[in-house]
Amino acid sequence: MTGALTTVQELFQSRLLAGDETIRVHLTAGGPHLDVYDHAYLARLREVMGEDFPALHTLLGDEEFDAAVTGYLAQHPSSERSVRWLGRAFADWLRGTSPWADLPVAGDMAAFEWGLGLAFDAPDADAIIPDVLAATSPEAWPLLVFDFHPALNTFVLTHDVADFQQAVTREDDPDRAPEAILNGPETWAAWRDADSLRVQFRPLSEDEASGLRLAREAKTFEEICEALAGRDGLDQGDAAMRAAGMLQGWILAGWVAGISAEGMTLA
Amino acid sequence: MTRPGDQISGFGLGLRPQHFSDVLAAPPPAGGGDGAGVDWFEVISENFMAVGGRPMANLMAVRERYPMAMHGVSLSIGGPDPLDRDYLLSLKDLADRIEPAVISDHLCWTGAHGINLHDLLPLPLTEETLDHVAARVREVQDVLGRRIALENASTYVTFTADSLTEWDFLTELTRRADCDLLLDVNNIYVSAFNHGFDAEAYLAGVPAERVKQVHLAGHENNGDHIVDTHNAPVADAVWELYRKAVRHLGPVPTMIERDADIPPFAELVDELAMARRLAAEATGGAAA
Repeated sequence: MTGALTTVQELFQSRLLAGDETIRVHLTAGGPHLDVYDHAYLARLREVMGEDFPALHTLLGDEEFDAAVTGYLAQHPSSERSVRWLGRAFADWLRGTSPWADLPVAGDMAAFEWGLGLAFDAPDADAIIPDVLAATSPEAWPLLVFDFHPALNTFVLTHDVADFQQAVTREDDPDRAPEAILNGPETWAAWRDADSLRVQFRPLSEDEASGLRLAREAKTFEEICEALAGRDGLDQGDAAMRAAGMLQGWILAGWVAGISAEGMTLA
Repeated sequence: MTRPGDQISGFGLGLRPQHFSDVLAAPPPAGGGDGAGVDWFEVISENFMAVGGRPMANLMAVRERYPMAMHGVSLSIGGPDPLDRDYLLSLKDLADRIEPAVISDHLCWTGAHGINLHDLLPLPLTEETLDHVAARVREVQDVLGRRIALENASTYVTFTADSLTEWDFLTELTRRADCDLLLDVNNIYVSAFNHGFDAEAYLAGVPAERVKQVHLAGHENNGDHIVDTHNAPVADAVWELYRKAVRHLGPVPTMIERDADIPPFAELVDELAMARRLAAEATGGAAA
């Protein structure tokens, strides 16, 4: 659309994002209460970020957290329909922006809180039951590909932030700062228990992280086995056993929502 | 238990996560709008679109006991960008699941060029805006396959280009777009105070038959202007305006919104009893 309406809206938006005064010529009496909108815009978004990253807030303190959020919002105005997704890029932004890039525990905490949030309210899906594997014919195994539950997500951490975050969630004082992970970085997974709907999380070994990444990229069971064999110097049989063991664990945890083999019908 | 139908009557509350356990522990409504507690709930649509887990399980558990209304904040019906088709389809998905009595959003815009400012921003009240909004309401209603209700937002500025009162704008909009209205009595009070118009003229100016739902909420009076904060009980002056609204509108499903400094559930139920009493007095006892 074109016309006066669009002009006014663009000026109004410039006002909220950049403090542009031009909109005032279109407002009755120059808009004496325009500041209500100025205030509401940032206050609302800061509140949402505080609700989504309470442990990071505790870790950084009010002043630093507010500075980080203000910097993030200035560079990442929301393009989301729901404020639920406002903090989507916060962890990456912290990891790439001075001075927080020099404080990797900040990006780690944001990544952890965001991952737990995703696991909490991701759309529902039915997980497959372990019997499906037992009923799969030997010739189908190499071709198996997997769909994962929407709540399962992974993120990479250089600090063990879980205890600190859990203490904040319980409204306890965290008794120590998060420590760097020995031999880090480490991939962690978060997911939702199908019965209790509670969020679960754990670190993954390097080979499990690698196998899960490949499986989520829709690589076949055979391709996953080959990658494991190449990575750890396992023979084909050991690699297949290791991959099958991991797969069993993923299914038991409710991570796998679908299993298929191209050109074949599974039981 | 049989799921309640898809109509609302009587008195409701905005469903907030803090109150899920209280809501599910309370005795279910008697139905027909004659309950003593809460007859129905309104949910913020965006909070449950493309969502699962505990929030969706709680929502569906409440829906098994209460009828519902859906209230959105991101439709941006007056915005300059094309309507977001994915958003509309997601809204329809949610509506298919919870079968709401009313699907509403606000007469406002929320951002331009793909940005969402997450606020209910004011529109110039002009013929150009009316054409723009009416066409978009029709588009939304075509996707949803039903009417929507638009709510009057609180405003803190008006535009030099304004050529219509807000009540004339809304009245004409209902004609052109064949849509309904959600009348927020607190917002009428707030905007009337901020811009110096007559709140009773507003009430008298809207078409009663199009008003499907009424909102009440608390505000913050800053002396020379009032801000719609939803952080306090409904103000006495707003209760008085509500009494007049019921006289004009007749019995309309009415609810209280609280979004900040949220009190215990029982306090909101007590406050809702006030709406019930005033409405009964104003209508001579007819159920809302």
